[in-house]
Amino acid sequence: MSLKDYKQNMELCCRCSYCKFISLEMVKGYKHVNVCPSIARYNFHAYSGGGRINMAVGMLENRFDYTDKLLEVVYNCQMCGGCDISCKYVMDMEVLEPINEFRIKCVEEGHTVPALDGVIKSMREKGAMMPAANSKRSQWAEGMGVKDFTKQRSRVIYHAGCRTSYDKEMWKVARGTLNLLQKADVNFGIAGERESCCGGRAYEMGYKGDFLRQAEYNMELFKRSGAEIVITGCSDCYYAFKVLYDKFGMKGGLEVLHTTEYLDRLIKEKKLNPTKTVTAKITYHDPCHLGRLGESYIHWEGKEIPGHIRIFDPPKEFRRGTYGVYEAPREILKSIPGLELVEMDRRKEYTWCCGAGGGVKETNPDFAKWTAKERIEEARSTGAKAMVTACPGCEGNFRDALEEDEGSFKVYDVVELLEQAI
Amino acid sequence: MALKREIYRALEDVVGPDNISEEPAVLYSYAWVGMAQGVETKNLPEGKETRFIRFARRFEAVTLPKNTAEVQAIVKLCNRNGIKFKAFSTGFIGGNVPATEGVILLDLRRINRILEINERNMYAVVEPYVISAQLQSELMKRGLNCNIIGGGSQTSALPLAAHWGLGHMGQSMSGGERNLLAVEWVTPEGEIVRTGSLGSLGEWFCGDGPGPSLRGIIRGSITPMGGMGVYTKAATKVYHWPGPSTFPTEGVSPHYAPREIPSGFMIRYFSFPSMEKLGEAMRQVGESEIAFELMGFPASMIAANMATSNQEELETFERLRKQVQGPGFVIIIVGNSPREFEYKKRVLQQIIDETNGNSLKIMEDPKTGGAQLWRFVRITASIRETFRATGDHSGIFPGHNAFAPVVNLAQKVAQVKAELQRKGLLLNDGADAFPWTEEHGFLSHAEVLFRLAASRESLEGVQYLREESAKLALKEPAGVPFSVYGDRLHDLFGPSTSNYHLWLRKIKKAFDPNGASDSNGYITTK
Repeated sequence: MSLKDYKQNMELCCRCSYCKFISLEMVKGYKHVNVCPSIARYNFHAYSGGGRINMAVGMLENRFDYTDKLLEVVYNCQMCGGCDISCKYVMDMEVLEPINEFRIKCVEEGHTVPALDGVIKSMREKGAMMPAANSKRSQWAEGMGVKDFTKQRSRVIYHAGCRTSYDKEMWKVARGTLNLLQKADVNFGIAGERESCCGGRAYEMGYKGDFLRQAEYNMELFKRSGAEIVITGCSDCYYAFKVLYDKFGMKGGLEVLHTTEYLDRLIKEKKLNPTKTVTAKITYHDPCHLGRLGESYIHWEGKEIPGHIRIFDPPKEFRRGTYGVYEAPREILKSIPGLELVEMDRRKEYTWCCGAGGGVKETNPDFAKWTAKERIEEARSTGAKAMVTACPGCEGNFRDALEEDEGSFKVYDVVELLEQAI
Repeated sequence: MALKREIYRALEDVVGPDNISEEPAVLYSYAWVGMAQGVETKNLPEGKETRFIRFARRFEAVTLPKNTAEVQAIVKLCNRNGIKFKAFSTGFIGGNVPATEGVILLDLRRINRILEINERNMYAVVEPYVISAQLQSELMKRGLNCNIIGGGSQTSALPLAAHWGLGHMGQSMSGGERNLLAVEWVTPEGEIVRTGSLGSLGEWFCGDGPGPSLRGIIRGSITPMGGMGVYTKAATKVYHWPGPSTFPTEGVSPHYAPREIPSGFMIRYFSFPSMEKLGEAMRQVGESEIAFELMGFPASMIAANMATSNQEELETFERLRKQVQGPGFVIIIVGNSPREFEYKKRVLQQIIDETNGNSLKIMEDPKTGGAQLWRFVRITASIRETFRATGDHSGIFPGHNAFAPVVNLAQKVAQVKAELQRKGLLLNDGADAFPWTEEHGFLSHAEVLFRLAASRESLEGVQYLREESAKLALKEPAGVPFSVYGDRLHDLFGPSTSNYHLWLRKIKKAFDPNGASDSNGYITTK
């Protein structure tokens, strides 16, 4: 569906402002009530979920033309989906999808921003969303003795993702995952130098064609391998493989799991036993693409039933964030002796974004950092000494924000703590 | 008509370059209003004959002032340069768009602090962009609570922000017009006036003095919708809350429910064989002062509130309409002690027995009832009840009065609604007027809600309904309806109501001689 196909849907916006806040039922105090970093930072209504779709209707009606400022509004959004989930508590309508389509329209009509063009150029040339990606992609796995699934049949594929592959700080997480999989005697492999970007962020940045090319490449690689399961520690990749590939009919029967889901399964099957004590008070940050956006895509084809109440034939189910991956990472953390898990005010489907997504890290690093700092403050307010997450994008952005921080607050991936406990 | 550059620069000097915009895309986002402005018949998706136009007139520029000083500077600048301005907080519905070209918006989003919660004297001082969910949750930590308007807890907690200021908890916590204490007001000319005790003692506890009492002028029963300057701070009465500091809600959206209903709380929905019986039950509930919350609700709205989607709403409504015997209300009983709780429950049971009320079984279920209880205290599902079904709604709202006249008027309006439903112009959700009492029966109010489809006929039907309702309200007086916006309706109701419209116009002229404060939804000096 293109932006114009969402026009009728967008016209349902009643300007109520639910999209700006966390689920109102879960508000616990004055602080931590915002769900959308964009409106929280820039304040003009256009920066909110509702404002974005109001603006999109204006665009479709040719009420205004492209300007630099318009693109600034369009791209200062992490595509975190907070607005979408809050809206859907009360409405039957899509918010994030048309916001994404607005970006696709911008790109298709040649209105892009240089920073994102640079990222896409890198993806086209090197298969990685990192313009600085010059080293070998699989360098992180050297010495691990891991199979190449493109050459040797594996039941499980481990996909590291661009950020993990090219950010040395994240190598410990990928290597830790491989260690755990080896300890659990899992038949798995990696693609090595043939691994390529999932394309998910390209889609969210509006470059739909590039996304589709990446999806075709990856699915061809996965299918040819005969593997049954693909696991990844990157929430963006997880969202792309599980949700976006399915949306475009490319996923087939491939089972997509986040590493936390797979490791939780291994713990429950007693193939991994966290027995060593890890003494720490921690809080867990739900990555947007694993949590509220991580629930399966729901295919629907049908029509609106004429009449007054907006219902559909067949009945249409909306993705409201209800079935995102919230428990698996928490279950792992709870299984580690000595860990004390405390929750932040904003969590699960109403989590606050880390700030890195949707191309914001590339186009406006200050905004990405501002968003991360807000989250770190919230994490600190729980009394935790560290924040644990399950996405290299989140971890990297928090780490960057903490560089300017004099405290000793730490950020970990779930895998790092599990590895310590085994 | 773009702003003159020197005026834009002057505004920029006040708020800073990041907090002003005249970007068309940004301005159009503000021009979007929740309710239909007209109908479009061209360039429509296949199968659609009409759609609603929801863009209203654009502001010329939008500013984001941070404090009273910046608001004052903008207002003075506008007066000096013959420019109109309008301010809003969360900007939900109502007169949130300009009446004329060339109006500057003051979006008060950045003025957002809770300045004081005075537990001893039971008031809170808030700025315009504190939302009710924030204030309520802070109050609950202190054993206090506040009225929240029916629009929902995502709206401003400022008791001047909402048109009527009515909410589901008005039975025990009244409404905006009567909870208002001292106010800091930037007049339409840019003078800062501090009303009530704030004007004399620098204290917020009283709206009427010692000091200038201007409550009737700056608010009255309905607010001026931005037509009388800018309210930058206000104190509101707060009330006793015997419940938990945080409600034990669990689950993932939209399926929130508490682990258990906190002890000392009970929620029920009762339906009655007639409006007379419902009125008698409400009168007795008020007289005995047993209810924390008493809200007239038809089965259709209960269904909408409970359901997480339109499909579910349709099915729930079909089920519930067979289980209710007539008009009904939601009631929440809260006990300060087990003994008091038992006493209130017994009194309620006696009232229900005497008025032949029937309890809706599903509300007695702890999980469903618990979820509803919190939803009715936090006011989170208003949009489900109003906009979700068809995408648009409207309503007729008689003013505050005694129970009998407001119910009489609302029932007559409901008959007009039924006529339109028979013609297929409105969602067929029953044609029920739903009345309720406030302040334990001291005031009464009633509404008729109608949810319209995106068609010219439906919109015209609603316009007809409004006109008929206005005629009925003149013929069957029940106070000036709350749905009176703008010159035409004020002029219609004024002559039969002590010529209040002449006074209102004089007040507007006295405080806003330059007509700088945009009067959309209020009254002009014409």
